[in-house]
Amino acid sequence: MADLSLPKTIDAPIWLEGETADQISDRLHQALNSSAHRERWKYTKADGILANVAAPSIAPFLDSTEQAGLEITLGQLDHALPGIDFQQGPEASARLCYADQAVIIDVTQHAPEPLRIHHRDSTLPVIIRLAANSSLTMLEIADSSDAMQQSIWIDLGENAQLHHSRNALDPCENHWQYLNVRLQQGANYRLNNHVAGSKLRRQDIHLILDGQGSEATLVSAGRVRRKDALDQQVTVEHRQPRGSSKQTVHNIVADGGKCTFNGRIHIHEGASGTDAQLSNKNLGMGDHATINTKPELEIYTDDVSCSHGATVGTISQEALFYLMSRGVSPDTAEALLSQGFLRQCIDGPLAEEALQSLIGKAVAS
Amino acid sequence: MSLLSVSNLHASVVTDEGPQPILKGLTLQVNPGEVHAIMGPNGSGKSTLANVLSGRPGYTVDGGTAVLGNDPLLELEPFERAQLGLFLAFQYPVEIPGVSNMEFLKASMDSLARARGEEQPNTATFMKRVRELASSLDLDPAFLKRGVNEGFSGGEKKRNEIMQLLLLDPKLAVLDETDSGLDIDALQTVAEGVNRYRSSDNGVILITHYQRLLDYIVPDFVHVLSNGSIVQSGDKSLALELEAKGYAWLT
Ligand SMILES: Nc1ncnc2c1ncn2[C@@H]1O[C@H](COP(=O)(O)OP(=O)(O)OP(=O)(O)O)[C@@H](O)[C@H]1O
Ligand SMILES: [Mg+2]
Repeated sequence: MADLSLPKTIDAPIWLEGETADQISDRLHQALNSSAHRERWKYTKADGILANVAAPSIAPFLDSTEQAGLEITLGQLDHALPGIDFQQGPEASARLCYADQAVIIDVTQHAPEPLRIHHRDSTLPVIIRLAANSSLTMLEIADSSDAMQQSIWIDLGENAQLHHSRNALDPCENHWQYLNVRLQQGANYRLNNHVAGSKLRRQDIHLILDGQGSEATLVSAGRVRRKDALDQQVTVEHRQPRGSSKQTVHNIVADGGKCTFNGRIHIHEGASGTDAQLSNKNLGMGDHATINTKPELEIYTDDVSCSHGATVGTISQEALFYLMSRGVSPDTAEALLSQGFLRQCIDGPLAEEALQSLIGKAVAS
Repeated sequence: MSLLSVSNLHASVVTDEGPQPILKGLTLQVNPGEVHAIMGPNGSGKSTLANVLSGRPGYTVDGGTAVLGNDPLLELEPFERAQLGLFLAFQYPVEIPGVSNMEFLKASMDSLARARGEEQPNTATFMKRVRELASSLDLDPAFLKRGVNEGFSGGEKKRNEIMQLLLLDPKLAVLDETDSGLDIDALQTVAEGVNRYRSSDNGVILITHYQRLLDYIVPDFVHVLSNGSIVQSGDKSLALELEAKGYAWLT
């Protein structure tokens, strides 16, 4: 396979002091082509996404920006982000290098209104910094487009809280979303992710529990049908003691759809008392569904509790019979059961739209 | 005309070692208005009878007939049998996370109404009716929002089955050990539910191990199922006799 490479030369950004452009390019090139990273592109072509990392971007549309607790600026990044990881996310790091500006959102206290972020195209990197004890509810929506990319970098200060809801439900030729979250001591992050497969849709999520007793929750519902594809790559790093992370990811893959889920949990040396859970369930329906699910565990500490499960199954015959024994036709019963499977992972302020789009009209509420 | 007529029914369960005959020439007739209790040792085929009647996958019919009203049942799909008026209260009701009880009951009501050519119930009226039934069976109406049977206790699951019985109002109800796992109060609640359902038009097959249930739901007939066929039939006093003597004298 040919080397993965960046679309154009990089200028050394000011936030990466002390390195020349060549050194940065070399580092990114090496990271892109490491065997561990090539593995993350095993089931999805990287070329189309890499080709666009330097493409022009606009600021996303923001709502409820005028409220206590929020300061929003459009500007240049002046120092490196704590969660940045060339090795793990070279594409997103490169995108940050290419961007001449970023949307910087500082959350200084409790923000009473949900902040809405709307992407209608490739958008500038969004950097969200939550001060200690601050809290925010954030709604993120991606519309349909030919090709678009979004990257969000979040840093939660001590005891800060962020409830993030995200819908990516509209069709897109080539869509990539990158999300990087670092949690300091006692911080709490929750993501409700609702996603539909598209011609090509890739979500990279990197959660870094970098302070004692921090807590991260990921709940995701996905539906992939026809010739659509969805590739989700999640890495959760526990760097400090007593963090807890919980991931529940349900995907329905039907009729020629292709779905990839790679869930990696990395528990660093010294992160004792970690509780990390991951459950990925896939429901295959109809003909020719392709499902790749790969759990990866790296644990360098004793005294952790870690569960990691991935299943690929079809509709439960027991449940189907129970419904049919009440007069429900097989078609309706199957629809109810597949809806029920997804609904378990649809929650939060964007749930209504997600239910409509992923499930359609419910039989009754 | 009888409500249910089962004659010389032979059925096997499909196992890894091939089909294993369980029902070996079972004959039973239920007339409108009757309650038939079926008792018998573990493994004698009681649940198999209920399952074969309702069309559960995993069984093969090797011979005989079962007719509900005028309709032969055994060739039909499970949902078609239900639409004709057959109801099975499960010995082990299934948990279905993500599908709410309310949604499940509505789907069921709508399907049955459509099959009978009746108008589908209006949602508000329907929900009111369901809530009333739930509280009449001491089921917290909050259960209706939860997944079907999800996290229900054993007794709650059984009461949910009876709630469905009352809501769907079938012609023939087959209750498979609906009394097992119930505390004394719940037993009375469930029995009261079944008695409320009883009418001169419908029938009940009550599978049970305990004579005590029959104090509350008084059967017209008691049958003993042993090794795949009915070996003894009588009235309520047979249940008392079984309680005293066990099954050994019959088999
Ligand atoms: N799926 C199955 N695979 C193998 N054997 C089965 C299966 N289902 C039933 N059987 C066997 O068929 C026989 C009859 O079972 P059935 O469940 O009908 O008994 P029962 O009379 O309802 O017993 P119980 O009083 O314990 O509920 C038993 O020997 C049982 O082991
Ligand atoms: Mg049984």
